[in-house]
Amino acid sequence: MKRKSRVGLSVLAIVISLVWIFPVYWMLNSAFLPTTVLERFTPTFLPFGGSWRNFTSAMDDGTFFRALGMSVAITLIVVFFCILFAFLAALAISRFKFRGRKTFIIAVLLIQMLPAEALFLAQYKMMSSLGLLNSVVGVSIIYVAAVVPFTIWMLRGFVAGVPADLEEAAMVDGLSRFQAFMKITFPLLAPGLVASGVYAFLQAWNEFTVALILLPAEDAQTLPLWLRGFVQASATRATDWGEVMAASTLVAVPVIVFFLIVQGRMTSGLVSGAVKG
Amino acid sequence: MKKTMIGAAAATAATALVLAGCSTSSEEETTAPTTEASTGATDEAMTAESADITLWLMGGDTNDDLRQYLKDTYAEENGGTLTIEEQGWGDALAKLTTALPDSANTPDVTEIGNTWSPTFTAVGAFSDLTDMYDELGGDSLLQSFVEVGKKDDKNYAMPYYFGSRSIIFRKDIYDAAGVAQPTTLQEFNDNAAKLKTDDMSGFYLGGSDWRNGISWIFANGGDLAKQEDGQWVSTLSDPNTQKGLKMLQDLYTSASNAPVGEFDSTPWVNINNNESTGKPEAATIMAPNWAHWSVGLTSEDENGDVVVGDDGTTPVLTWDDDTFGTFALPGVDGGVAPVFAGGSNIGVSASSENQDAAKQLMTIIFSDEYQTMLAGAGLGPANLDFTSALGDDQFAKVNIEAASGSKLTPAAPGWAAVEGSSLLEEFFGKVNAGGDIAALATEYDAQITPMLNG
Amino acid sequence: MSSPVTSPKRQAQSEESIKAAAHASKAKRRARRAPYWLIAASIGILLVGTGYPTAWQLVTSTQSYGLAQQFGAAAEFIGLQNYIELLSDTEFWQVVGRSLVFCFVVAGLTLALGLAFALLMNAVNKAVRLILQISMLLAWAMPIVASMTVWTWLFDTRRGVVNYLLDKIPGVDMYRFDWFASPWTFFLMAGIIVTWMSVPFVAFSIFAGLTQVSDEVLEASALDGASNGQRLRLIILPMIKPVIAIVMLLQVIWDLRVFAQIKILQDAGASGSKFDLLGTYIYKVGTGSNDFASAAAASVIVLILTISISWWYVRKLMKEED
Repeated sequence: MKRKSRVGLSVLAIVISLVWIFPVYWMLNSAFLPTTVLERFTPTFLPFGGSWRNFTSAMDDGTFFRALGMSVAITLIVVFFCILFAFLAALAISRFKFRGRKTFIIAVLLIQMLPAEALFLAQYKMMSSLGLLNSVVGVSIIYVAAVVPFTIWMLRGFVAGVPADLEEAAMVDGLSRFQAFMKITFPLLAPGLVASGVYAFLQAWNEFTVALILLPAEDAQTLPLWLRGFVQASATRATDWGEVMAASTLVAVPVIVFFLIVQGRMTSGLVSGAVKG
Repeated sequence: MKKTMIGAAAATAATALVLAGCSTSSEEETTAPTTEASTGATDEAMTAESADITLWLMGGDTNDDLRQYLKDTYAEENGGTLTIEEQGWGDALAKLTTALPDSANTPDVTEIGNTWSPTFTAVGAFSDLTDMYDELGGDSLLQSFVEVGKKDDKNYAMPYYFGSRSIIFRKDIYDAAGVAQPTTLQEFNDNAAKLKTDDMSGFYLGGSDWRNGISWIFANGGDLAKQEDGQWVSTLSDPNTQKGLKMLQDLYTSASNAPVGEFDSTPWVNINNNESTGKPEAATIMAPNWAHWSVGLTSEDENGDVVVGDDGTTPVLTWDDDTFGTFALPGVDGGVAPVFAGGSNIGVSASSENQDAAKQLMTIIFSDEYQTMLAGAGLGPANLDFTSALGDDQFAKVNIEAASGSKLTPAAPGWAAVEGSSLLEEFFGKVNAGGDIAALATEYDAQITPMLNG
Repeated sequence: MSSPVTSPKRQAQSEESIKAAAHASKAKRRARRAPYWLIAASIGILLVGTGYPTAWQLVTSTQSYGLAQQFGAAAEFIGLQNYIELLSDTEFWQVVGRSLVFCFVVAGLTLALGLAFALLMNAVNKAVRLILQISMLLAWAMPIVASMTVWTWLFDTRRGVVNYLLDKIPGVDMYRFDWFASPWTFFLMAGIIVTWMSVPFVAFSIFAGLTQVSDEVLEASALDGASNGQRLRLIILPMIKPVIAIVMLLQVIWDLRVFAQIKILQDAGASGSKFDLLGTYIYKVGTGSNDFASAAAASVIVLILTISISWWYVRKLMKEED
């Protein structure tokens, strides 16, 4: 590629990066500024003279850590089971021919088209009768069911992308099917598993409409509910933007950290050429 | 053991107080069986098995002192634990809908917006409290709120607190412009129009803010709905309602810079001096009475820094009598206009398994002490005998004055559905955007009437 | 052992073959059953997590089910009346039309930007790529409640940065512009926000697809004298077509049922029915107005609608699977 156009593209890429990151930056910036500054009509673009005060007052009552605990527990369960279930199902549909396979594939696709806004009464009734309201398990069941179709889709592509003859070749070399699978196929699937995990993580961490209904007790709140309560409570007075932004940052930070950790593996997995075969 | 005994003693004392507060003028009260029944009820409350119960409160109006009092007193009298959970107004409807019918997860006692009371009462969400009505304050209770919690002459949801809406204005700006405090509604409108500039609303009114806007309808003798032959009908096309809507449209167009879509604003931020301009965004606002706590001037410490509150970032505002003033919205022919009576009801969930304990909490809430505390916190107490505890400062006076004429939304069983559909925000927004009032009224009457009857 | 007449050698042989046959048939049976075991967990969780609520929704949509029924009154079966009422309601059709336009415009824009960004990631050097990827990741990672809070503030009439910056452009008067006043600006704002949130996923998916396009093919084509445009159109796009198809389908599904973003924006100052998309419409009918049966019926109609617009893909898929 010509050098000049390459520089132009790089500049373009950086401009796009800045535009895309601006709302995130704005949240951080505002989180450090006092309300008096935020109330001004002229925006303040750099948090000079800022402080951690908004953060300390947002975490004041200790409910943040309780909500963090709930969110972490739910997210871990959802990520684990989504990957496990989806992996098994993806294996079934891309490695086996069986009756009902096509129905299963289409059902998995259609389930994602269900609008969720009118399901809440039924979800509540079901979890209440199972005694799973306000529990990590109840809400996790709904989340796994909501996320698993998509992760099956995602993994199906990855599993199909690994040629079965690679495994068979390894079996000829004396490995058992299981060994062949673990040694040959699994490493090739890793990026797909990570990508599915990331997707499940995001969904479970961010969801709040189902959580609102299935986790009505205050001490069962997840982080998005905590944040929403914060925004709403603040709205009955004059919205304290600084504190709200600090609270938003607190909810976003764990995801960002997780992403930055996984990001390297995900793209290195993808880019290293493992998938190119 | 000792604790229980103290608890029992306290309960007896509280009961004595409640009984003393009972009105004996009520006809049923004089008949022997009822007295027996009510004593029976009290005995039962006293001996109610200790139970852990949950109370849902809407929003943050009930302050921490009040909550602590309820928890402590309940623990003393019942021995169980009272858990108080705050629900945001925005999500409350969905949560009440799912949790109230579910005996395993229902709050035992819940606060509910007064405008939602008819709907939830009509479907049987609350326990029948007719037996306790006199014990809880009887005819001293705010009757318009008692009314919305009634079905077939039985009492279900009780009043919790009320707050009427009153006017806060910038005395300094009124004085500088030579504008006097108005005595009629038309004068109010004219003043507001006179004060409006490009940067300041004469009167700050969100275009879709129907809760403030309906005062102009009420003042002109109109209403949102009425009952005809047992059926509820939307009355936006009623000539008096139309008159009020016309006045409101004129006011919005001539005096308010607020966005036409704004409906649940916090107008008090606009009457305070803005941080960048040093001037307010509005010369006049209308807000629930307690909003005066959020109105005032900032002050600076010796270093020239703005004095901030405990959280370290929010500036402390102090009311200043030379800058701000307050009055009740004047009526069409002078006097006081009927404004929207904001506030809440409270009831025992019908599906609660702790009926006795929940009723015991109700007696605590309607006790003299708690009613006094409510009033002390600036909330209109359910029991009007305690309004004096609101104090005698200008805010209390205006609050009581405005409350005297205040009106509620229709007690139609489908009212919560009407509010939930956002049709009112939509209608008021279109009126204030300059729409044809008569045509819009016909259109929205047709949509609202079928929803009113549940 | 078996018959004594057979010589030990033959016996061993036949035993082995019987064993082998048994083993084979057992393995075959196991292989036949295996896929069912593999999908059992997913089917189980789907039946519980979505099956029951969906069945309830279907039943309810044929009933008269309001708040009274929620509090224990008997629900009356009314057949298709809820559906008939909805389908003869012009407001519902307006919402459907608006949602379809919003969905196609936003999904199209998201896909175009996502593809462009993925190609960009592929074209620039490692450092710049990392910057672009991290900014996309951060935008993607923002919890919806958090990012919507930021966005509503960015678009705030008085203190919003968007108005502030646009007003700086000479000749543009955006001082105190009210984005929430008209449905046009409201959906423009919503479209910008939803696109911002969705592009990272699309960009990453397509980028992952691009990394699978083998370098040799590209080099060979370059040697053959193909221009950049030709390479994109003739080689790259056909190779990543499956990824694009699935990503586009998902975007259409997601954008058609977009709810949380629109709801939060409405709460910030736009409540009329002109600001509704299907998600918020269903919410208003159900949670807002307590007409749960109509909300359920509307959901079923939306499901049918979604299936019909994605039918091309489902059919293609079924053909491929044959």
